[in-house]
Amino acid sequence: MSERRARRLSDALATGTSRRGFLGRAGGWLLATATGAAALAAGEEDADAYHFCGHIYTTASCPHPTGIPRVDIHGYPLRARDGMPVDDLGRPVDRQGHPLDDRGRRLTDPDGRPLPRALRTRICQDGIPDRYGFPTQVDGSWYRCCGGRVRRLMDCCARHETRINGDTALTGYCYQGRRVFCVMYFQTSVPC
Amino acid sequence: MLIAALLLLTAFVAGITGAWSPCGFSMVETLGSRRAHAGGRVVMTSCATFALGALAGGAITFTALAALGALLGGAGSEAALVVAATVALSCAIGELRGVRIVPQIRRQVPEPWRRTMPLPLAAGLYGILLGLGFTTFVLTLAVWALAGISGALGEVQVGLLIGLGFGAGRALPVVLMAPRYATLGQRLELKMAEQPALLRRLRLADGALLALLAVVLLSTGSASAAQLVVSDGTDPSRAGSTLAWERPGGAGAVLLDGTARRELQAQSVAIGGRYVATRQGDHLAVWDRASGAVVVERDVAHATQLAVSNRWLVWRTSPRGSGDRLWALPLPVAQAVPAQGAGIARLVAGVARREAIDRPALSGDHLAYAATTRADSRIVIVNLATQRRRLALVTRGGRLSQPSLDGGRLLYVQSSYCSQRLRLLRTSGLASRPRTLLRLGATALRDEGHEHGYTTQGSEPGHCPRGTLGPTDTVLWTTALAGRDAYVTMLQPGAAATPAAARIVRVGA
Repeated sequence: MSERRARRLSDALATGTSRRGFLGRAGGWLLATATGAAALAAGEEDADAYHFCGHIYTTASCPHPTGIPRVDIHGYPLRARDGMPVDDLGRPVDRQGHPLDDRGRRLTDPDGRPLPRALRTRICQDGIPDRYGFPTQVDGSWYRCCGGRVRRLMDCCARHETRINGDTALTGYCYQGRRVFCVMYFQTSVPC
Repeated sequence: MLIAALLLLTAFVAGITGAWSPCGFSMVETLGSRRAHAGGRVVMTSCATFALGALAGGAITFTALAALGALLGGAGSEAALVVAATVALSCAIGELRGVRIVPQIRRQVPEPWRRTMPLPLAAGLYGILLGLGFTTFVLTLAVWALAGISGALGEVQVGLLIGLGFGAGRALPVVLMAPRYATLGQRLELKMAEQPALLRRLRLADGALLALLAVVLLSTGSASAAQLVVSDGTDPSRAGSTLAWERPGGAGAVLLDGTARRELQAQSVAIGGRYVATRQGDHLAVWDRASGAVVVERDVAHATQLAVSNRWLVWRTSPRGSGDRLWALPLPVAQAVPAQGAGIARLVAGVARREAIDRPALSGDHLAYAATTRADSRIVIVNLATQRRRLALVTRGGRLSQPSLDGGRLLYVQSSYCSQRLRLLRTSGLASRPRTLLRLGATALRDEGHEHGYTTQGSEPGHCPRGTLGPTDTVLWTTALAGRDAYVTMLQPGAAATPAAARIVRVGA
């Protein structure tokens, strides 16, 4: 059974039961356990039909300051190509939040002061509620091998019937009746 | 204001021109001829419902078109103004030459309604259909032009104005003729039917108004283009005809009034009302522009930015390891009394460490400042006399910065990961849509939203709206606002040993 079909079946299980939280989760875990190893073994070629490596269904990215929805372990945005932290304006920033140039040097104003910081909000936990007006959280995740590193695929979950694409939301890795509103990922440094 | 008045008038005349359509004639006859059977009151009520329907229909169509324009992006920009002017001009030429209306909508309102419904209800529904503009025959190209202009300008209030003007124009002939159908109504109807010159004249009027509109739109478009004012300067402020700015890196300041130029030994300068405020190191001074008399002198550690008005001096302090603070000092009402250390400065605003307050701005008793904290980015207006504080604008997921005040108007920069915009807003209508005076791309590069070799499906939420300008190295920085002129510093940030470069441009406000 392909992982994509498994995920669909997991969604069907979750939506077709009165105790959707428990059964859906149980179904998801069972199917994921059954298919996960195969998917990892298959590698990234299996995910070519989707918009970033490791993502295996059609739910779209969470809005991200630089586009591809790469985040750090806490959910703050990172630039996909090099993992640089970026602020809400998409500017690479240092640990204090000051914007940097391409060579990693602080940008300065006419008086030589560092340019002011902008906000740096967590993509799922803060950004989606601000923009769409309902609470969200990251429930569960799944790990796959992408570009020679283990990647954590994270679903941004909400008690919302519609996903960011505008159509029906799926259960994905979400629990307790929550559904996937949008997706993002965290790239580990673990080789695979 | 002139554009709004012209749009309203053009829409009104375009609405009147619609009276020559098959439906326009039918309405007059339908309502007017019922007077004998149904009575004058029913006819008057029907005229009223027709007028309300026409106003509603017009409002719906043109407001929706404006909203659509706003959604599509790029609306209100200089390019959009040029598009709107081009549409107006081409339709004006068509109207002046009296060309056939293309595209034409060969449809009419449903005739059975007047037989099957109470007349006031039928009249109301007919009014809506005629007010909608594109559900029946179109008698002037101005209707198409106004539709295009609504979308290009993308301002809902403007769309509403056009719609109400058009609805009023559609209603007027019916409301005027139907109640007096036996006398005035039939006479006018005959003239309309038998004297094509009347329609021709109205179309000429439509054409002339559209041509005028095109000229005004084009002049507005060029006025909104940025004009370089200072090639090496930052932090502008203006009072009357005098413009003040600083040289980057604290290399002096300049006051310019016409051709009279005065160089100042100051690292910061601000001008407001009759005063000039300067900072040299930790030393602040306020002096009268006309007499040169020093009004206030004071040493303030870590002072970095200034603002001054006839009544207040405000400065920012930025101590190392602490957040920015804003302090306000009342200026003496009777001037020319040097006041070393006099007066008590009041703390007006402060933020935590690693948070920032931008350059403050003053207009009379009102202070505007932008603060970006860990929670949000906001612009606050404080009445220093009453200490009343008002949250003017707030955002998360973007940045509001560099406010300026002039009377009841607020100029500021709004930045997101898609664009930087210099925006203008009335402080009495902060919930309304701000006017964008200048737009630049974002300072950050965006990727494609999908990884290389993968499909694009799912990357859509990461895209910026269509029409978004490409990324730039230039940051919209400090602003100033005075009358019809808005100033903004275009900053090229420095890095390490490379100093920042800054120039000041002016745009029409």
